[in-house]
Amino acid sequence: MTEAQKDFVQDRETIIIKGNVAAAYAAKSARVQVISAYPITPQTTVVEKLSEFVDNGEMPGTEYIKVESEHSVFGAVVGASKAGTRTFTATSGQGIFYANEMIHWAAGARLPIVVAIASRGPAPPWNIWADFTDVISQRDTGWMSCFCSAHQEIYDEILMSYKVCEDHDILLPKFIAYGGFILSHTSKPVIIEDQDLVDKFLPPLPSEEGWPHIWMDPKRPLMFGNLIMPSSFYYEFRLKIHDASIRAKEKIKKVAAEFEKTFGRNYGNGLIQEYKMDDVDVGVVIYGDLALQMEEAVDQLRDEGYKVGMVKLRHFRPFPTEDILDIAKKVKVLGVIDRATAFGSQTGGPVSCEVKGVLHETKGTATVLPIINGLGGREVSLEQQKEQLKKLVKYHETGELPKDVIHGTLWDGLLEVE
Amino acid sequence: MSNEKIVEISMHCRGGQTCITASQLLAEMAYEEDFKDTIAIPIIGAERRGAPIQAFTKVSKNKAIKTYDSVKNPDYMLIFDTSLLEIPTIRSTIKEGVNLIINSANSIDKSDLPENIKIFLVDATGICIKRNFMHASGPILNIPMLGAFGKITGYYNLETMEKIIKKEFGENRLEKNMSVAKDAYESVKEV
Repeated sequence: MTEAQKDFVQDRETIIIKGNVAAAYAAKSARVQVISAYPITPQTTVVEKLSEFVDNGEMPGTEYIKVESEHSVFGAVVGASKAGTRTFTATSGQGIFYANEMIHWAAGARLPIVVAIASRGPAPPWNIWADFTDVISQRDTGWMSCFCSAHQEIYDEILMSYKVCEDHDILLPKFIAYGGFILSHTSKPVIIEDQDLVDKFLPPLPSEEGWPHIWMDPKRPLMFGNLIMPSSFYYEFRLKIHDASIRAKEKIKKVAAEFEKTFGRNYGNGLIQEYKMDDVDVGVVIYGDLALQMEEAVDQLRDEGYKVGMVKLRHFRPFPTEDILDIAKKVKVLGVIDRATAFGSQTGGPVSCEVKGVLHETKGTATVLPIINGLGGREVSLEQQKEQLKKLVKYHETGELPKDVIHGTLWDGLLEVE
Repeated sequence: MSNEKIVEISMHCRGGQTCITASQLLAEMAYEEDFKDTIAIPIIGAERRGAPIQAFTKVSKNKAIKTYDSVKNPDYMLIFDTSLLEIPTIRSTIKEGVNLIINSANSIDKSDLPENIKIFLVDATGICIKRNFMHASGPILNIPMLGAFGKITGYYNLETMEKIIKKEFGENRLEKNMSVAKDAYESVKEV
């Protein structure tokens, strides 16, 4: 960011709002045309704030549809998006699982729906706190997914996402996930951008003809998503989803660059964001709220002379394979920190599995230590993160694995149970 | 205070005593003045009226606040209900150098507290009863507690409080809000 841009940013009005409210403001700034809503903790205040906006007349022309379940929430946005509108909703945990059928449908129908996820741990035991297993469990639906680590990033990422999703070469839906309560219910200063600037940044709202691949016209009825025989194009459509998702990487990078040029805020290359990764022995890959807090841990350990750095994983789907390969070349030991589970997999952590998979074919020397922490909202303090970095440094220096390594993964912050 | 220091405040109340809202308002009031970053962190579970509740606010003049974790070593502790001081996990967080702001008309038992702490008393409950600043289950303590905090720290004054209260709650009951803020601002005392 240039000095001039910095001044420009600081001149703008900021409000102190919860992460959920930032998500609602983003939907408003993006002039979404249809919102469907069903309450679920910790997302509820997103759709509450939006109902307030609609009720106050601050979102003229926006349809706000109240439905009776998350399955219908996604059914409603699938229908509305199919008719050629910009759509938005928000959900969490159990709501995602209940909607799973329609989530697959949205991607298969190539609808550019954007959904905010205030992530929470899957039940049982019943849990409403931060855990990204909910959104990550949708890994193979065809939805793009990303993690936010700050309040402003929620607002910014939703704007960027509409630009990526609605690109006629992409046309895929996307989840924007952030930790339940940790971001959804804490408050920080957030810049709500000037409407003219947002309008110029985003693509125009879809025209009456709707999206290019769908021709919805009551005068000319057609069937959509009907049964096709195995000899027909089902297989080819699946390839096209994968192809669009891979190609979205370049689009995400381009949009992040355009975003920085327009609004002055940098999100790395869009897919990942490096932090102090020059001259490091030990690095970590981390995502969500803990990534921002880890920056502070890295700063403090660097002050103490440790050669540590970090990479914030912004996108999970599409996965930034090439960037992870580059990162692995810079470090001797790479900690990959999950706040989510992938039971029975190689590491038990979904992102550490992914990273290990990417590195499998390289001749690099980086050793991966998978770490799991903070499940179900278990607090991960700054001190704990500093200790994690120190454990990785010790592992690098002595080859000695920390205690609490279970099946090859460090389960950090377990309760002491006899 | 050093400009690089992040000031950390913890609030302890019982469900219904409004410290969750207080943490948000404090963030807004400090930000309205010369603080450049702030975060309000409510700890939310399934608490009901009367259960112990915690909320935190961090404020900073220059350094960006990057942490979301709870406050373990507060610079200021706002105790909305003296009965909470009897809870060992709360009493044990009272460490050397802390500034305690307690809602109490009477002096408190200091016997096992560290020596070099500052204790400020404000009769927030009494002020609310006198001004009839009540909701269904009791006095609305957040505004007088924030009035006392503003006076002690100088982070914001009554004018700033008025501006933020008006922004958040509108003109309705603004006068009553400000009357309890002012009473607390003027009556808080170090003991």
